[in-house]
Amino acid sequence: MVFLNIPLLVRARGPDEFWRKRRIFKLAAHYRSRTRNVYSFAIRSVHRALAYATKGRKLKKLDMAQLWTTRVEAGCQQYGVGLETFKEGLTRTDILLNKKMLADLAIWEPRSFEALVKISRERAAVEGFPDIKQRSAFNQVYGLRNLKLD
Amino acid sequence: MSFLAQTVRQVLRQAPTRTSALTGAMRSLSLAPALWQQNKPAAADAAIDVAAIAKDQQKECQSICERVNQQVAKMEQGRLFAVVHLCGKQFKITAGDIILVEGYWPPTIGDEISLDKVLLAGARDFTLIGRPILESGLVTVKATVVEKTLTHTKTHFRKKRRKQYMRINFQRSPNTMIRINSIELARPVDASSEAEKEPSRRLF
Repeated sequence: MVFLNIPLLVRARGPDEFWRKRRIFKLAAHYRSRTRNVYSFAIRSVHRALAYATKGRKLKKLDMAQLWTTRVEAGCQQYGVGLETFKEGLTRTDILLNKKMLADLAIWEPRSFEALVKISRERAAVEGFPDIKQRSAFNQVYGLRNLKLD
Repeated sequence: MSFLAQTVRQVLRQAPTRTSALTGAMRSLSLAPALWQQNKPAAADAAIDVAAIAKDQQKECQSICERVNQQVAKMEQGRLFAVVHLCGKQFKITAGDIILVEGYWPPTIGDEISLDKVLLAGARDFTLIGRPILESGLVTVKATVVEKTLTHTKTHFRKKRRKQYMRINFQRSPNTMIRINSIELARPVDASSEAEKEPSRRLF
């Protein structure tokens, strides 16, 4: 009686060496010098690259958020309004556009963005934000109820 | 508390003009509603006939609405763009665009849908801004589901050096492509027509 299975399974460690290495070499095909050709170098750099890629997917989102913030800030600074004031003014007016949209509007629809800035600044002046110097025309003449929401 | 009150009193005595500036500066920290915190209108403004100015303002609003309506009636407004809220994300779209919805989303290929949460719509000469969305039926955005696929394979790989720790996973998530067919102003822009009959409801 011959046991075929168990003794063979003990020594079975993964796929054949050739295929195991080929998987790594395929990923390392575009690397330079010995990281492309020498397995011990290749696997090191492939692992590092995959780990970076995994982390990078999260970082990309953070980077984009940062970029949008910068763009919106630049957009509202050209009208002399700070970013926080601008956002707070919009929220209090119930305009819930997100940062990405505001950045897009600042670039591609400058006149719509200008209107948003004006609305926000008016709201800020009406509610008396500390960093808005000029007083609101609405506040002086009409009173608040004209800007009241539903 | 007593020493605090004392210093405050001293400050007040020294510079009575500074009090208004101080109260103004602390206004953002106050819990009282903004309504109570307003600077009172100056005495000169009280003389102005408020009703007349309000009427002027209303006339101006109406004339703006009319001009928008005239432009739309003559079909001179050009191509509209809109900002819509879809699946938790906002998209700036115009007719003919394809947008990508990531993740699980039930509609299937060929479905015609209308995107109702329009946050902002604009043309060359005017912009309609919703608070937070435009009233329903003002702007109609029609779209078709064009394609449903999976993303490319993303490799989720973690490794800790010298700790015999290594994990590798592969993932693909569903993606849906939507073609925007048309963005149109369905009815004339007039704030007073239907808005008063049916107060706008929040949809989310």
